[in-house]
Amino acid sequence: MDNHSPVPMIELRHVEKYYGDLHVLQDISLSVRRGEVVVIIGPSGSGKSTLCRSINRLETIDSGEILLEGNPIPQEGKKLAELRAQIGMVFQSFNLFAHMSVLDNITLAPVEVLKKGRKEAREEALQLLERVGVRDQADKVPAQLSGGQQQRAAIARSLAMHPKVMLFDEPTSALDPEMIQEVLNVIAELAKEGMTMLIVTHEMNFARRVADRVIFMDGGQIVEENTPDCFFSDPASQRARDFLHSLHAE
Amino acid sequence: MGFTDLLSKYGAQYFQALLTTWRLTAISFAGAFIIGILITVARVSPIRPLRIFGDIYVQIFRNIPGAALLILLVYALPYLQIVFPYDVCVTVATILIPSAFCSEHLMSGMNTISPGQIEAARSLGLTFLQMIRRIIIPQALRSSVLPMTNLLVATMLTTSLASQVPMRPRDLTGIVSYINTHDTGGVTAFVISAVLYCLTAFAIGKAGSLVDRKVRILR
Ligand SMILES: Nc1ncnc2c1ncn2[C@@H]1O[C@H](COP(=O)(O)OP(=O)(O)OP(=O)(O)O)[C@@H](O)[C@H]1O
Ligand SMILES: [Mg+2]
Repeated sequence: MDNHSPVPMIELRHVEKYYGDLHVLQDISLSVRRGEVVVIIGPSGSGKSTLCRSINRLETIDSGEILLEGNPIPQEGKKLAELRAQIGMVFQSFNLFAHMSVLDNITLAPVEVLKKGRKEAREEALQLLERVGVRDQADKVPAQLSGGQQQRAAIARSLAMHPKVMLFDEPTSALDPEMIQEVLNVIAELAKEGMTMLIVTHEMNFARRVADRVIFMDGGQIVEENTPDCFFSDPASQRARDFLHSLHAE
Repeated sequence: MGFTDLLSKYGAQYFQALLTTWRLTAISFAGAFIIGILITVARVSPIRPLRIFGDIYVQIFRNIPGAALLILLVYALPYLQIVFPYDVCVTVATILIPSAFCSEHLMSGMNTISPGQIEAARSLGLTFLQMIRRIIIPQALRSSVLPMTNLLVATMLTTSLASQVPMRPRDLTGIVSYINTHDTGGVTAFVISAVLYCLTAFAIGKAGSLVDRKVRILR
């Protein structure tokens, strides 16, 4: 694949967003190249989730532009649904469909949205479940799985749509410590395979390992963009230094 | 007249009346169910006028007494040159009112769906209708089996409105009025109908809990 493609996979230009008086996104400009893994770090309430969610328009923005491969995100309707189908999203709380088997969770969107045949969708879903290590849970409903298994199934559900880019919003924050690693390993594997990803996480070791670039947010602004090595050993901004110190103090 | 006399003389007609009540109930509930789902879809749709229409519909038919609605259909509409046969009026009244309650039950069934699931569906590229069909309605239905069971019983009781108009064949309430105007059935005539209503309600309740246990969503 062409890693030097001039058109970024995702590009945000001067994005602004308010919740009432709260200025949650302040002049955010950012681009993610094809195949790049960008990790977003920052204190609670800094706007990381809002940024992530506005990329597939789960949140609307007040001004600025968001582009996927150079095309602006449509406002609504079928066009927006088509665009969302190309952006995978993994949530902190897994959000599997509670009334369906794990397998049906994964085949639903390929059948409904991509109009794949049931059989083909099923075979591919089983392969994906195998890949994330929960093939043997395919016929259970989500509530019968552990958190780590649910999150891996949720990743498989996103992958089944063959997204151009994957967004992760704190994918391991709701997990028991012993399950965090199994989910991070799946994400690291995706990184190795060249998936374009934007990852919000508090797992610093993981961030350092998979990130091509680290973005530090605070108070609705991008305060620092850096390589993972520089960011973690010698951050350029005082705010990032303070943030990293506060983590070590814990 | 005693219990046995009543049964020997009117047994066949009671049976006929029971079947009539069952038939009215089945038709009304089926209609209420379908309209209830459609109204619910309107109430959660992205189109504002549809949402408003759905809410107004529910407010009206949830709050109007069945008898008043029936009188309106039977005696007021003819002034507007609209005349429906009696059985149509009864069926319409006993569909409209339960459909509003059906929608209310579905709305509370929907509240059991975590907002995250809707966000996941949207981010997978599902359209509103796909989401309604595959995620929202199935979960709402599966979490509202018990209230729907109660609604089915309530619908059956509402069909006793049929006795307020000269409709043939008579339903379980109609038969009581008939016997008591032609004969002296007294309270006993009513008790027989009441028992038949209760037995039906009991059977519906049992079936409802069986279904609920089978389809309830593990969370
Ligand atoms: N729907 C909303 N309405 C009003 N304010 C909101 C809403 N969602 C988030 N906020 C506020 O916007 C700010 C940014 O929230 P956001 O969830 O993006 O932060 P975050 O960086 O993801 O934090 P965390 O690490 O806790 O997840 C916070 O102050 C939050 O309280
Ligand atoms: Mg967040």
